[in-house]
Amino acid sequence: MTAVIDKPVREPRRWAAPPRPTWEEEPSKAGLAGKGLALSLACLAILFPLWIVVVTSLSSRKTIDEAGGLVMVPKDITFIAYQELLSGGQVTRATVISILVTLVGTLFSMTVSVLCAYGLSRSGSMGHRWILMTLLATMFFSAGLIPTYLLVQTLGLTDTYLALILPSAVSVFNILVLRGFFMGISQELIDSARIDGAGDFRVLWQIVMPLSRAVLAVITLFYAVGYWSAWFNASLYLNDQDMMPLQNVMIQLVQKQEAPVGLGQAIKTGQLSGLAVQMAVMVMALLPVAVLSPFVQKHFKKGMLTGAVKG
Amino acid sequence: MSHSTVPRSRAEAKSKTAREKTPVASGGVTGAEGKRPPGKLSLKVRFRRDRLLLLMTLPALVLVLLFNYVPILGNVVAFQDYDPYISENGVVSILNSPWVGLENFQRIFEDSAFWDAVRNTLVLFFLQLVLYFPIPILLALLINSVVRPRVRAVAQAVLYLPHFFSWVLVIAVFQQMFGGAGMLSQLLRENGYNGLDIMTNPDTFAFLVTAQTVWKDAGWGIIVFLAALASVSPDLYEAAAMDGAGRWRRMWHVTLPALRPVIALLLVLRVGDALTVGFEQILLQRDAVGPGAAEVLDTFVWWNGVRNQDFSYAAAAGLVKGVVSLGLVLAANKVAHLMGEQGVYKK
Amino acid sequence: MTPNAASSGPSRRSFLASTAVATAAVAGGMPLLAACGGSESGSRDGTTSGKDAKKILPAYVASNVVTPDIPSKNGSAIGFTSKLDLADLKTSVSKKLGKGGKVTIMSPFWGSPPKQNNAYYTAMNELIGVDVVWQNQDGNTYDQKLGAVLASSDVPDVVVVPGWNMGGKIPSAIISKFADLGPYLSGDAVKEYPNLAAIPTEAWQRSIFGGKLRGLPMPAPYAPSMVPLYRQDIFEEEGYEVPKSCDEFMALAKEITNAKAKRWACLDMKWTAFQAFGVLSGAEKPLGWHVVDGKLVNRIETEEFLEALEWSRKLFAAGVVHPDSKMGKNAPDPGPKFAAGEFLIYPNNISQWWGRTAEQATQNPDFKIWGMDVWGHDGGNPTLWADQPAGIFAFVNKKASESVIRDALAVANVTAAPYGTKEYMMTNYGVEGTHYTVKDGVPTKTDQGNIDVMNAYVMVAGPAATIAHPDFPDVAKGQVEWQQRMGAFAKRSSFWGMQITEPARYTNLSNDVEQLEDDIVRGRKKISDMQRFVSDWKSKGGDELRDWYQKILDENGSAAN
Repeated sequence: MTAVIDKPVREPRRWAAPPRPTWEEEPSKAGLAGKGLALSLACLAILFPLWIVVVTSLSSRKTIDEAGGLVMVPKDITFIAYQELLSGGQVTRATVISILVTLVGTLFSMTVSVLCAYGLSRSGSMGHRWILMTLLATMFFSAGLIPTYLLVQTLGLTDTYLALILPSAVSVFNILVLRGFFMGISQELIDSARIDGAGDFRVLWQIVMPLSRAVLAVITLFYAVGYWSAWFNASLYLNDQDMMPLQNVMIQLVQKQEAPVGLGQAIKTGQLSGLAVQMAVMVMALLPVAVLSPFVQKHFKKGMLTGAVKG
Repeated sequence: MSHSTVPRSRAEAKSKTAREKTPVASGGVTGAEGKRPPGKLSLKVRFRRDRLLLLMTLPALVLVLLFNYVPILGNVVAFQDYDPYISENGVVSILNSPWVGLENFQRIFEDSAFWDAVRNTLVLFFLQLVLYFPIPILLALLINSVVRPRVRAVAQAVLYLPHFFSWVLVIAVFQQMFGGAGMLSQLLRENGYNGLDIMTNPDTFAFLVTAQTVWKDAGWGIIVFLAALASVSPDLYEAAAMDGAGRWRRMWHVTLPALRPVIALLLVLRVGDALTVGFEQILLQRDAVGPGAAEVLDTFVWWNGVRNQDFSYAAAAGLVKGVVSLGLVLAANKVAHLMGEQGVYKK
Repeated sequence: MTPNAASSGPSRRSFLASTAVATAAVAGGMPLLAACGGSESGSRDGTTSGKDAKKILPAYVASNVVTPDIPSKNGSAIGFTSKLDLADLKTSVSKKLGKGGKVTIMSPFWGSPPKQNNAYYTAMNELIGVDVVWQNQDGNTYDQKLGAVLASSDVPDVVVVPGWNMGGKIPSAIISKFADLGPYLSGDAVKEYPNLAAIPTEAWQRSIFGGKLRGLPMPAPYAPSMVPLYRQDIFEEEGYEVPKSCDEFMALAKEITNAKAKRWACLDMKWTAFQAFGVLSGAEKPLGWHVVDGKLVNRIETEEFLEALEWSRKLFAAGVVHPDSKMGKNAPDPGPKFAAGEFLIYPNNISQWWGRTAEQATQNPDFKIWGMDVWGHDGGNPTLWADQPAGIFAFVNKKASESVIRDALAVANVTAAPYGTKEYMMTNYGVEGTHYTVKDGVPTKTDQGNIDVMNAYVMVAGPAATIAHPDFPDVAKGQVEWQQRMGAFAKRSSFWGMQITEPARYTNLSNDVEQLEDDIVRGRKKISDMQRFVSDWKSKGGDELRDWYQKILDENGSAAN
């Protein structure tokens, strides 16, 4: 057993290539060009639509009408769509709801998952095999949409935010990744802490967690993204329109192409296009995760690697 | 939430066995438990020793039992003519709803819409297996071969991005680009060609769905493979190079074998999930091509249960799906074992 | 994404802008999903009419508060075209009937609801004397929410249920969850609520569920409401003539279509085709049955039905239909594309006639939308079928106390106030100065009005079907006159006006018809698929259902004229 300690390994952020190992041959020009082309195309296929969405959300009605829909080339930049959306009303409320559900849900999920992963991380502990099997088995079956729906209804969770958190609070996959990572932490460190009289909670808090920042960051992101982009549970379990999170409002907006009511006038007076509003809501729904994930990205490999692949 | 990947490899199995054989010093009780039958320590002692650990697993365990196991019981409504309005409590309603035996199942098997859904599900599964599954592997190899750290980081960031788009947005974008009145169609018409029909053509719908899936999730799928690639010791490459293996042969003999366990595992999981294809994505486009071409099992269940409020019928369809899925994953795992791979669980 | 969403069927989106409540949404072409169901137990299925009905129907006391400019004829709405004189508004509710209790109302809502304590709600509650708390649901997915709420222990005091949401087991839930209003309304009891007493008896007749008067109806004109709407301005500019037969329509459509210039003739014309070929209504299951040559026939068994589908299919095949229409219910809102002239004709609920006019008036002064007369497919007079005289109902929770029921009725008595009264103006326009301003006798909603005064109170119960657009009197006139011309061709089918609950075992029988229609029209399925479906339908219960309806016919007599 080697100690896998998550030293903050910072990848050198340079554009230049690091020196090649001596045994590796120089790449051919054609190979390099091919690779570059393939990668650029892949990135372009992603960035082009994104560009259009952002530009359209920032365009005036005139520009959008002239373009006959989505705008490719920005002519005039206006933030009116965002101003209108954030000036109170449904979208503002939904944004706040989404943020709160994501924060509370992620905190709850992380607490439950980290505890469980640690509780299962010592092989040979009592019952751990059974508990593990119980968790693992859920990856092979699902109880089905209808029975789950009936359960949530019977528990009286409909029309509460708990319905957005509890049924999806535990991801067995995430627990396994965490557990795998925890198991890779030097046993000597833990043992010496225990000899010093530290209990399990203290070991977890003071030794295991600080050493697991990478995987914690990754799993936090997973949970947060899950809560942020969830819409289905809300559509099933919430009957109160005022409780709907941002994703549901966005779906309503984009599918039905109905502008939120407060915006009717701005749209009618001709400055604002309904399309811009839709695109702006999409950008708002996308923004937090798109901004956060690159920061956590560097941990993906490490978190996954030590957490999952190596077990 | 990526629930579909459990990258646990052969390497994991090895390290785990190794660990289990290692004497564990915990709470003053020492002993080589791995080899020893657990009976040697009395339950009481073990409980005292591990009670904190058990307590820690409790919240997650309760949640899983409640939301993953208890609802299984609810599947009894598949054998009823469930009337949710009899009472105000689901359990009481179940107890009071009339039993109809296998009638719902009989109805399902006679329902051509159900068989449409089965067919569409399988077609989509196979299509995605062939056209979607290899792409993240190729992308991972591509990214892995990029040596400049910053280029690599930027490319990864971009490739991960669409995973965070919601399906509504993806489909809206596709619609605006490729729809019958979209950007591309209009360009074609202005130049004397016919407009496109790809968004509303039932015959090519499966390809459309696959293309959307590739666009959205192929980038995200590379993470697991990148992780596996990074775990390959550079020494192996060096040794291969010393033996005169070129770039391609190194990939063939070193890189791909390293990916094998992950690929096998993901395949097993994918097969187990074969009957789950693109719920939200399809729901949003169902009417554009008609359910004959678009309905999959999940949307079938949703449509009948949630929209038509025919709970029993939908639950029966869901149950059929669940049972077949379970069979598939067990079978796939078996095959993986036979091929010498770890699969999802050990024997 | 509803099975019967706004875009293909008649628009429920029209509620967004429409103050012409009576005409909105209760449309001729309501899809089949909107049919009745019922439970096997007791007297839940069937209908109530004749003597039994007489005993529980409220007495009718006509309202003489205002005289309409255009009286009702041939089942049309009544029309008001003159200017509004605020000072001359009548009062139809002389004393505040509400006892100050709290009443929660769940209702479908199209668009996004205003804040709970906005000026409009406050003023309405003040006027009624009841503290109404709204639980608004997305109208497009209302059926789904309705089921969930009715199955829970948390049923609001009042629940609004549109007829098209009465699928599956909902009718049995209506019967078991909602109160019998008979003790408060039957016979002369209704006179305590004069505006409710002025609701036409036909609408009340439709409000009998499970043998008891349970619904508070929103009356609708029974003249057809599905209008082929077209861009009159472009027609004039280009010299197009309104077609008089299916062949003429096809020829015109081909002339109009120029895909290269991003112009198509129309959207899916299925609803118009059904009218042109005289297909029985699919709005409600009972309306689809009619006695032909002494035998009950369902609409899907008729030749006309197949012919109408075939003609609609030809339009798609000829490429004259806007490509968005291929997407069926997933298609985006046609409004902007209609305004941009991407297509010139589409069938929709008559309320869109005014809705689109109002929408475009300020920024697109040339825009003119008008309704075509429905033509007979061969150029003769069309055979049209009458719509139901009420299609949206408000129900009161069975568990509600008498005072809550009384308060709910007080709400309905205000919302059912006729045009020209203070109550009507408050219900439909809000508070003068805050929600609307009047200039030259034309009320215009303010920004605040557009936010607050949406389809909330208007859902509870309505006055006799009314069309009144002081802002566009010629549109109001056009609408009523269209209804009167078309109403002249409208026949009543055998079960018209009855509230019939089919036995539960048949409720899912024709779930797939509408989908199949759409698939055939779009060329994804063949006419022969429909023929196969119909023969399956017969053997799986269609023939039994025919016998069941025959029994109702024998007991109640035919409504046909």
